[in-house]
Amino acid sequence: MSSVLIVDDAAFMRMMIKDILEKNGFEVAGEAANGEEAVTLYKEANPDLVTMDITMPDKDGLEALKEIKGIDPEAKVIMCSAMGQQSMVIEAIQMGAKDFIVKPFQSDRVLEAINKVMA
Amino acid sequence: MSNVEYLDVFIDESQEHLQLINNSLLELENQPNNLSLVSEVFRSAHTLKGMAATMGYEDLSHLTHTMENVLDAIRNEQLEPDDKVMDAVFGSVDDLEAMIEDIASGGDGKRDIEQAVQQLELALNGEVPEVPNQTANATSETEAMLEVGTVLDEGFDQFEMTVLTQSQEQGFTVYQLKIELDENTMLKAARVFMVFEILENMGEVIKSTPPVDQLEEENFDNEFVVTLLTKEPGTELEQSIRNVSEIDNVQMIEINVNELKAGLGQQESAATETAVLEKSVPTKKQPASSPDQKVEDSGSSDQQPKKSDINKTIRVNIERLDVLMNLFEELVIDRGRLEQISSELNNSELNETVERMSRISGDLQEIILNMRMMPVEQVFNRFPRMVRSLSKDLGKQINLTIHGAETELDRTIIDEIGDPLVHLLRNSIDHGIEKPEVRRNLGKSEEGQVELRAYHSGNNVFIEIEDDGAGINKDKVIQKALTNGVVTEEEIEKMSDQQIFSLLFASGFSTAEEVTDVSGRGVGLDVVRSTFESLGGIVEVDSELGKGSIFSIQLPLTLSIIDVMLVEVQTEKYAIPLSSIVETAIVNKEDVYSAHNQKVIDFRGKVVPLIFLQDTFDVQEAGQHDEYYSLVLVNKGEKMAGLVVDSLIGQHDIVLKSLGSYLTNVFAISGATILGDGQVALIVDTNALIK
Repeated sequence: MSSVLIVDDAAFMRMMIKDILEKNGFEVAGEAANGEEAVTLYKEANPDLVTMDITMPDKDGLEALKEIKGIDPEAKVIMCSAMGQQSMVIEAIQMGAKDFIVKPFQSDRVLEAINKVMA
Repeated sequence: MSNVEYLDVFIDESQEHLQLINNSLLELENQPNNLSLVSEVFRSAHTLKGMAATMGYEDLSHLTHTMENVLDAIRNEQLEPDDKVMDAVFGSVDDLEAMIEDIASGGDGKRDIEQAVQQLELALNGEVPEVPNQTANATSETEAMLEVGTVLDEGFDQFEMTVLTQSQEQGFTVYQLKIELDENTMLKAARVFMVFEILENMGEVIKSTPPVDQLEEENFDNEFVVTLLTKEPGTELEQSIRNVSEIDNVQMIEINVNELKAGLGQQESAATETAVLEKSVPTKKQPASSPDQKVEDSGSSDQQPKKSDINKTIRVNIERLDVLMNLFEELVIDRGRLEQISSELNNSELNETVERMSRISGDLQEIILNMRMMPVEQVFNRFPRMVRSLSKDLGKQINLTIHGAETELDRTIIDEIGDPLVHLLRNSIDHGIEKPEVRRNLGKSEEGQVELRAYHSGNNVFIEIEDDGAGINKDKVIQKALTNGVVTEEEIEKMSDQQIFSLLFASGFSTAEEVTDVSGRGVGLDVVRSTFESLGGIVEVDSELGKGSIFSIQLPLTLSIIDVMLVEVQTEKYAIPLSSIVETAIVNKEDVYSAHNQKVIDFRGKVVPLIFLQDTFDVQEAGQHDEYYSLVLVNKGEKMAGLVVDSLIGQHDIVLKSLGSYLTNVFAISGATILGDGQVALIVDTNALIK
């Protein structure tokens, strides 16, 4: 079973992703509300996959992505973005994000992204 | 997937974000150059948008999106946050609030946001444009071009042909790929970027239709065609592209350059047409380079230091806290009983245990009470917005300063004081602060000052609203009070200035000369007073004509557990809240005088009327009488009275229980409590006793 670390500053969003994941047989390795927590949790839990929100207080998703990639160049990170963040998404992909999903989330889109990345 | 289960969290978080937006916007008005504030608002709006869209509240997300555009423009210094812009943003925040409120109260969050959106567009562009469409329509130009190359065979110009021929000679295979994105793809350019990244890892893209710059701007439907030189096998190529999310279909053909050459003559005209738009071969750097710059822009403004404290908290339903409180109250009652029993039994081990338990439950009480405490900020937060719009409506300039917003009060009280405070503030702004021209003539600064203060003092919290406006016209108050029959002329003569001002709180009072939209809508200040009094609070007003007025409200810290003085009246026990007691005294019956049909005493040079609780509460005579009166001196504001009781028992923590719905309006009794020995004691409402 693949374990996933969920990073989003909105508890609402985390809950949503968590539900999608758990209903489809993924294990949630942890939840982080900002980039800082994400990096710490990544080190602790070493999940198979990270869903990473871009806009977050303190340390945003891009910085966290960079650090996680620094710790583990093989890290699989899927960016979560809203419309209007095209350039950030592109930057994230350049930095090594495997895929991105756009809010509002549709569960099949989320699963598609995760399955493709895990394949 | 049903979203109902997320609704509570959604509403809570949305409200938090709206509050954050409100605060930051207000700060921004004062410091228009502080772009980190804009970033903060932007971030909140952004999160809100994402949540709203996920929950399916389209109006909400659409409006936030438009607002975000404006904020983005401000953040990138393309737009000056002037009054007009801020008004538009504030306006839309109002709409957002209304929508969230609607959702919270079970509505569908739909709302006509056309106007707000238009305002924002106007602010952004200086004109009303078409509503921007996120699923960008492909321009007719690109559509035409895609038709040219429907079945993948596009034309190549001379230069491209040379490149193709040469690369084929070097062992490259030329593929043309038609890639179709899912029609619901949202960030198409980013998707395209992912595809290009894969392609460029495997070979070299020499041509794309529509051209790369148009792809980047999302000027295409859902499909595009690229020509790729590669040494990788075709199946692998296709597989890697299919592995990108949201790719619906990939069609791939291998191109034989020699065959193509043969057909070149016929296609030349079509080829030149596309060649105009796509001249150079090394297009591959384009998709990477220009987004880079954009990233830098938004990245740098995002890196402004943001200090939003993240406390580790959990949300607990207030009802659960109420239940906890109730259970604890029961415990306090039993603790009292236990204390009494142990003191009767006089067993040292029992005593020790009970003492320990009392200490712990005392700590517990403090924690439970603290849990229910919230900063008054909750209530104060909405005032700056209100004052802002109010002052605009009334054509007045007002500067509201807030002090002590961090002062904490019981949640139950917080919930209640919002409306009466709004009323008082409106009152100050509407009746107090003069219009700018009047102020100028009076030699005051045009901007009126309204100060809202909250602070702790003893077991009370004080909230004060002070303005530097016109003050209260005493004569007018007297006149009105007389015509309305609130007081008689005799009474007025005996009244101090403060007492006269207090008449404002008597029913049916509105001194505004014209009834404005703001205050004076029939709801008098008496409602304000009764609300505060029902919370155990006191309202006072002081004023100096021409200089301003000050309304001060005294509120208890908490409602349910109070400190009281237990007293005995004949055989019955009564509890008098410690907060209203000045002191206790014993006076000789000979020292009691009569004045105006009222028994009074001379208490340190002050004449204090006596109130006999035995008469007030019709307590049955049990025949105990001393030659002394035991007095509890209580006050209400400046006024004092001496409550005559038979004996003083002592100070206790008691749990306030209401008398229930059968016994409302019992004179001068605010509730009851159960004592340690199981007796019931009534709690005296001293405010009602002092007239």
